[in-house]
Amino acid sequence: MEPIRPGQPGRSGPPGPPSPAAEQGPGETDLDALLALVAGGDQAAFETVYDRVAPPVFGLIRRVLRDSAQAEEVAQEALLEVWRTAGRFDPARGTAITWVLTIAHRRAVDRVRSESASAQREARVATADVAAGDEVADTVAASLEAERVRHCLDGLTDLQRESITLAYYSGYSYPQVATALGVALGTIKTRIRDGLKRLRDCLGVSW
Amino acid sequence: MRIGGITIGRGPHDLAGAYALDALDSAESTRFERHLSSCRTCPDLVRGFAATATELGLAAAAPPPPSLKAAVLGAVGALSSARDVDEAIASVLSAPDARIVSGATTAGGTATVVATPRGRAMVFTSSGLPVLPPTSVYEVWFIGSGGARPAGLVPPALPDIAGTTVPLHASGLTAGDVVGVTVEPAGGVRAPTTTPIVVLTLRA
Repeated sequence: MEPIRPGQPGRSGPPGPPSPAAEQGPGETDLDALLALVAGGDQAAFETVYDRVAPPVFGLIRRVLRDSAQAEEVAQEALLEVWRTAGRFDPARGTAITWVLTIAHRRAVDRVRSESASAQREARVATADVAAGDEVADTVAASLEAERVRHCLDGLTDLQRESITLAYYSGYSYPQVATALGVALGTIKTRIRDGLKRLRDCLGVSW
Repeated sequence: MRIGGITIGRGPHDLAGAYALDALDSAESTRFERHLSSCRTCPDLVRGFAATATELGLAAAAPPPPSLKAAVLGAVGALSSARDVDEAIASVLSAPDARIVSGATTAGGTATVVATPRGRAMVFTSSGLPVLPPTSVYEVWFIGSGGARPAGLVPPALPDIAGTTVPLHASGLTAGDVVGVTVEPAGGVRAPTTTPIVVLTLRA
């Protein structure tokens, strides 16, 4: 990931400019082009892709699974899926980093929802979910990107923020989110949707 | 393009947010994807939400253990060479001058070679060869006027296919060669030490 340039405006409050996150710096091949090379079996290109995406892939999966050993296993599966299916990446449907992180998140969520993993995980989740909204700050305070996301999450209502973080960072289905927060299903759907709109606009996401 | 501000009524596209966060079960997810193809506003909404989720993911970035890189690149290398071998095998099998020769071995079972003299390569497979103790191995040879040259070790049998061995690809076939198989010490040897259990003549 590219370090955030000093003096860039919009870091202090919403709405900010489009995020530079995961864009390539000058002189670097962009991820789209690298994935095309990977689709053709280029192992050197894949190593570059690995170096670029492994930190968010691993970090996100560990965040969802709350277990480093399992996270490493699932991250390995996700990164091999990137290798095997790079030819299916379609730039018209979203950015390369979104494609990669979608694979990673789905794999993490699948693992969370699989029966074998659920029992061990219950215990870890039980203590951690109370402060779901605060975890962003706890685990990733060092990163400016994380700070920006944290800032925008703070701009949501409590229910929007809790719904989104439970769904995304804890891998809850929306009915599980509804149960955990004691709110009607329909309410959760709209809170997630409205919260994501606000987050999207605050982060200045381009798509 | 922004869709924020538009009031969206009740209906499947209420699920766009939950879908983008992978918070639907697989049946709902499939149903929503079906809706997506006929919904005018949904694709843009989902793209924006997916890009927003990406920001949440990037915010969770953490340095992975070095063992992850070794494991992933190692697996990619292995998958890649398996793919190379598959391609090499496919090119022998589809060569215009490909010929197939099969014969029973004196140990039991059948050895089969598909060879392309022009491509100077062959693929060897067998079925029903007796299973050897771990100290021994079946070794394949190109045998020509200059003697026998190693062409590789017979790989293990595929599970559940009547003792059929994984195809072995070997290049270095020269005109006039026959293909032989011997039983050798595990790991193979540079020159045969026993009498071939089968010799296949390619020009038969």
